[in-house]
Amino acid sequence: MARPPSMLAAAWIIARKDLAVELRTRSAFLSVLVFTLLALATFFFAWDATSVASIDLAPGVLWVTFTFAGMLGLHRSFGSEAQDRAIDGLLIAPVEREAIYLGKAIANLVFVGAVLVVALPALAILYNLPLAQTVVGLAPVALLAAIGLVSVGTLFSSMAVNTRLAELLLPMLSLPFFVPIVMASSQISARLLAGRPMSEAMPWLKILIAFDLVFVVACTIAFPYTLEE
Amino acid sequence: MPDNYGFFIAAYVIAGVLIGGYVASLWWRSRR
Amino acid sequence: MTVPAPARAFRAPLFDWFFLLAVAAVGGTLVRILAFTPFEASQGAAQKIYYIHVPAALSAYLALGILAVASVMFLWLRDPRADRLAVSAAEVGLLFTTLVITTGPLWAKPIWGTWWSWDMRLNLTMFLWFLTAAYLVLRGAIDDEAMRARFSAVLGVLAALLIPFIHLSVYLFRTMHPEPIVLQPGRPRLPAEMLTTWSMGVLAFAFLCIALIRARYRLPDGRDA
Repeated sequence: MARPPSMLAAAWIIARKDLAVELRTRSAFLSVLVFTLLALATFFFAWDATSVASIDLAPGVLWVTFTFAGMLGLHRSFGSEAQDRAIDGLLIAPVEREAIYLGKAIANLVFVGAVLVVALPALAILYNLPLAQTVVGLAPVALLAAIGLVSVGTLFSSMAVNTRLAELLLPMLSLPFFVPIVMASSQISARLLAGRPMSEAMPWLKILIAFDLVFVVACTIAFPYTLEE
Repeated sequence: MPDNYGFFIAAYVIAGVLIGGYVASLWWRSRR
Repeated sequence: MTVPAPARAFRAPLFDWFFLLAVAAVGGTLVRILAFTPFEASQGAAQKIYYIHVPAALSAYLALGILAVASVMFLWLRDPRADRLAVSAAEVGLLFTTLVITTGPLWAKPIWGTWWSWDMRLNLTMFLWFLTAAYLVLRGAIDDEAMRARFSAVLGVLAALLIPFIHLSVYLFRTMHPEPIVLQPGRPRLPAEMLTTWSMGVLAFAFLCIALIRARYRLPDGRDA
């Protein structure tokens, strides 16, 4: 009789399951990707291009778009489990509940990361930013922002699918939590793109890192409360 | 002294309506 | 006189002596604000908004603090009374944050020249309002009582963890709010007459806040949670 997998191994198995489902269908990824590109393009027309430089717009546009796109993807995370009560299969599996959360979060992180891999170069091209500097410079910020977004979003996705409002509730619950992420990533990006010294962005970077640490831990602990007992 | 009685009255009226409204809702819910 | 107890269980009256005392305190403060406190020379009548704005803000913090503590208590002890206290504090907290963000702009327009200055304390209160509203909407969207209590307690705890981050972020963003005049150790700069009125306001609103939470807590159980 095989031993149940350790927590991280179980998390990885669950993440691979979610990613395999996503790879087979690709429906959510494509729609979120197109949404992201569409939003980047639409925002450009919302300002007078002759009076606002696109480099000043780019950080805010990127991170606001990113949070909304992330929310679209996050809802699918537990929304797919609600169909035919697939979640029950996970619940009776011999794994800890925290492992379910971590697995879901890892899958979401890969999902959101894949969107960013396309979105960052697209932003650089559409907004005429230095390509290499944008992609390489913003990648670490993007990773930190994605971890924060996914940690909170995965938990709220699990809660929201059990309510009568379902996906309508997710933005209301998670957007206040995304505010520090949007503010910090936008401020860091703006300084990076303007070529300012990194020391100016340090306070924001600290906020972002602390946010990730606090909410990855807190949401992992809180997750079992959002499941049936 | 600036003349801004309008703002002063508006603030106190809004405060009264909000608090009064909440008390009324408590009373309403208690007698159903 | 030995009438058998009615079929309905005994219910503590909603508005008892405690509530009346709070109402009297608020009424007394109001009389003092209107009739016995001088106008401030440079700000005029609008300055008197301060006597309800700041006490409402402090009461909002009190209610939301109770919400956070009650949420932790619920997850720890699983006592439905903690959940009941949490929702009572949330409703009253929403009431007072609404008071703060409506009276604030009415003062700011004549004094600062703008309704909403995107100042850090405004933003913090605005997000407290959003979080409290989300808390109550979440509760309204769940039918199962046990699930509602667990989910909302989780949100209550996470929101409490979020506040320091929002506070830091909006602080770094920028600030132009007048520094607290009274809460500076050593030298209150407010004239004695106004300070007394203000202190009465703080006490009366804290009283009202607790009385309202208490009354809401005593509401009979129902689907209105």
